[in-house]
Amino acid sequence: MTPGNTRSISINEHLQLHFDRSWLAELGERLDRNGPWDSWDYFRLAYDAAQFSRVASFDELQCLKTLSGLEPLPHQLETARKVLHEMRGRAILADEVGLGKTIEAGLILKEYMIRGLVRKTLILVPASLVLQWVRELNQKFGIPAVAQKKTYMWQQCDVVVASMDTAKREPHRDIVLNLEYDMLIIDEAHKLKNRNTSNYQFVNQIRKKYCLLLTATPVQNDMKELYNLITVLKPGQLGGQGEFQNNYVVGKRQPKNQDALREQLSKVMIRNRRTEGLVEFTKRHVTNIPLRLSPEEQALYDAITDFVKGRYRSSGGDIGSILSLVTLQREVCSSRDAVFVSLVNMFKKTPQDSPVRQMIWELVEKIRAIRANTKAETAMKLVRDIGDKTIIFTEYRATQEYLLNYLKQQKIVAVAYRGGMNRGKKDWMMDLFRGRAQVMVATEAGGEGINLQFCNHIINFDLPWNPMRVEQRIGRVHRLGQTRDVHIFNLSTLGTIEEHIVNLLHEKINMFEMVIGELDVILERMERQESLEKKLYKILLEASSDDDIRRGMDDIGRSFAEARESYRQEQERKPAGSGAARTANKAARAEAGAGP
Amino acid sequence: MNQQQVSEFVHRFLDASQCRIIEKTPAHTTVKLSPEADKALMGRSYYWDFVERTGAPAETMTLTLVFDPDAEPPEETRSTGPTAVRTLYVPGRPPREVITYGCRRLEQMFQTVRRQGMYVMLYEQPEEPDPAPPRRKTSSRPYTTWLAVNFKVEYACDMKREDIHSLGISLSSGEIADRFHSILERKNLTPRLPQHVHLRRGMTLEEAALRLERELERRVRAEDHRWAADAASRLAEELARVDGYYAGVAESLADEEERAAALAQHQTRREEIMWQHQPRIQVSVINCGLFHLWDDTFQGK
Repeated sequence: MTPGNTRSISINEHLQLHFDRSWLAELGERLDRNGPWDSWDYFRLAYDAAQFSRVASFDELQCLKTLSGLEPLPHQLETARKVLHEMRGRAILADEVGLGKTIEAGLILKEYMIRGLVRKTLILVPASLVLQWVRELNQKFGIPAVAQKKTYMWQQCDVVVASMDTAKREPHRDIVLNLEYDMLIIDEAHKLKNRNTSNYQFVNQIRKKYCLLLTATPVQNDMKELYNLITVLKPGQLGGQGEFQNNYVVGKRQPKNQDALREQLSKVMIRNRRTEGLVEFTKRHVTNIPLRLSPEEQALYDAITDFVKGRYRSSGGDIGSILSLVTLQREVCSSRDAVFVSLVNMFKKTPQDSPVRQMIWELVEKIRAIRANTKAETAMKLVRDIGDKTIIFTEYRATQEYLLNYLKQQKIVAVAYRGGMNRGKKDWMMDLFRGRAQVMVATEAGGEGINLQFCNHIINFDLPWNPMRVEQRIGRVHRLGQTRDVHIFNLSTLGTIEEHIVNLLHEKINMFEMVIGELDVILERMERQESLEKKLYKILLEASSDDDIRRGMDDIGRSFAEARESYRQEQERKPAGSGAARTANKAARAEAGAGP
Repeated sequence: MNQQQVSEFVHRFLDASQCRIIEKTPAHTTVKLSPEADKALMGRSYYWDFVERTGAPAETMTLTLVFDPDAEPPEETRSTGPTAVRTLYVPGRPPREVITYGCRRLEQMFQTVRRQGMYVMLYEQPEEPDPAPPRRKTSSRPYTTWLAVNFKVEYACDMKREDIHSLGISLSSGEIADRFHSILERKNLTPRLPQHVHLRRGMTLEEAALRLERELERRVRAEDHRWAADAASRLAEELARVDGYYAGVAESLADEEERAAALAQHQTRREEIMWQHQPRIQVSVINCGLFHLWDDTFQGK
């Protein structure tokens, strides 16, 4: 609306009335030129469309009428309302992991968009989450978000999702800082804790009307981090830097005047907690199924183990070849097909005159001796007993192929799912699994957007060594929206490395029964020096006996327990954000007569 | 907007854009789009460029629009796709889409009619074309030209509420009529100038528009503006907070350059807050038109 086309009138000292008059010139022009005139039918439809989409009140959430497939949980709605009506669109959403911060942000964004208060939106997230955000906004909210790929998109697209690292780099930086954003959303906002970082300074320069900062861990190390975060949102909310130190801080991680601080925080931050019973997760039942390999399979495993140990000693510790050696050991626990493929590849890469070729060939001969697959037979029996939808996870493509074939022979309808498939194919496979197949054989669990809540049985045909990947597998079915208890079956072959891994994950880390969302935080702390997976490789290759392995596993278990203990203690101490959702929830419980 | 209203709206749209209905059940409608609707809805601008440049015969798309997914066989619609355009393609059959309020397809129809239903010029005509009373046959019927404007009034601060006012003004007498759109809805209107018509026009469009705006202003003034007072006090509070914070920052900085940077940032934060909270009322026009109506339009009604 150019000023020339607007007539403004004062209603009172703080309120102006603006008439857009661009229509008048256009109507006059059409009258002079005797047309062209629009159709009466369209005219009437346009009027009705305006009536249907009229925002009748300041308060009532409009977005709910438009979200036909999404049913937000009570705490998510409560959070959206509070951000819209009390925090006026500037807030830190600090729910614990798994409570749906993205849904809350989506509700708020959608509401503003419907009301015509937000058009231009920038969403900054870690690179790995860009597509997930785009998809969620598209599918759950009908918000036309795009992933930033080309430079022109900053200006031309209304809702842009990009990674912080891209946005803060030239030439993007300049463009972004010259725009005005109706809404700025930052996911994983705890990365803005330090005001000397380029991230912080960049974000602080972005011009924004409304702003949502999403983080599951608003205070990690230092009270000052929280202060900095709030300064991005509402400078001065906790007073100046000095006042804040004097009023609220005792030590680095220790607040004082907690009630006053909580009161101030509750004006800008909402933190819903799992322990408040906001979300009922169903139970997990874990069953380990130990298998005894057939004599032929055991012979193969032993031969491979000898081969691996021998090669490790003669390799002099070259990490690349070591990894592929341990992989052989893991593969042989999964299926002969998996190990066969790797052996063949290894054979091809070995120089023709090397004696290793002969060794590999002997192993291949041992594979030929194997007639049946003990694990597959056990999995088959399980699938029949379950008699319901089941996902079988494996790490290996060859095992996946084998299982698909095997299931087909046994007349069980199964579909494949793997990382290399494009989005459309993945969606199609999920639909087939929902509609027609009993079994999905999947090699990938990490990919976003795989929600299989209609299924509640998982068979881990083999286990990843990274606990997060195991958790991701389970997370595909054990998540918001799962109404039944989830049953997890781990197949492990006795007397192999697999037995040790299952033992570590199940007994020592106890990961199958952990609170959702806790595992990633604890692992992050524990793995600051070295990843768990790497530690495992080392233990296995350097061990000269089973006892050595056991001791190594015990060590890992211990350091995990320590990390968990310190994490849990911190959780107890942490100043909480919002009271609103919690109070509402308590009231609801009291009303129901259940009591806390 | 319930599903009944959605279905009615969509059917009126298809009808108005000359689409051909192939199959209709209470739960869904299969429609062959007209070129006009295809261009507006299907996002195939390259295809239409090609057709127009080469003169190739145009093949418009056929769609199945589902209004009651529960009544459909389950594998025919996707239960997971809520609001985005969710199209299910099955080879050999038209793509199926569930249409609900808030879905993108309906939003496209809204936008199309908004764009293409902005300005009209229409004449009232007899219900039946010929058998007018004999005595009027020779004398021409007196018409009055009305300017009809559908206004949208937005009351906005960090939140927003809207009202719609449909006003009409007689260009000859200056009489203003409320709920004018519903009066027009009851009339039989045609874009063609009927025979034996003589038009009388008094005031200019400018003048008429100004009078309508004054009427609207009168109505708006009579409203309760506490929301604006509240917003204004929030605005003042927010400004005070930011001013306080940056006063502290400025004090702590000795470096001239850093000070300037802080000052600039202070200014930015102030502008953001104004932008966010400043109460204002914005009036825009949904659509408008000139309607030539018989003089007895309002007499005896």
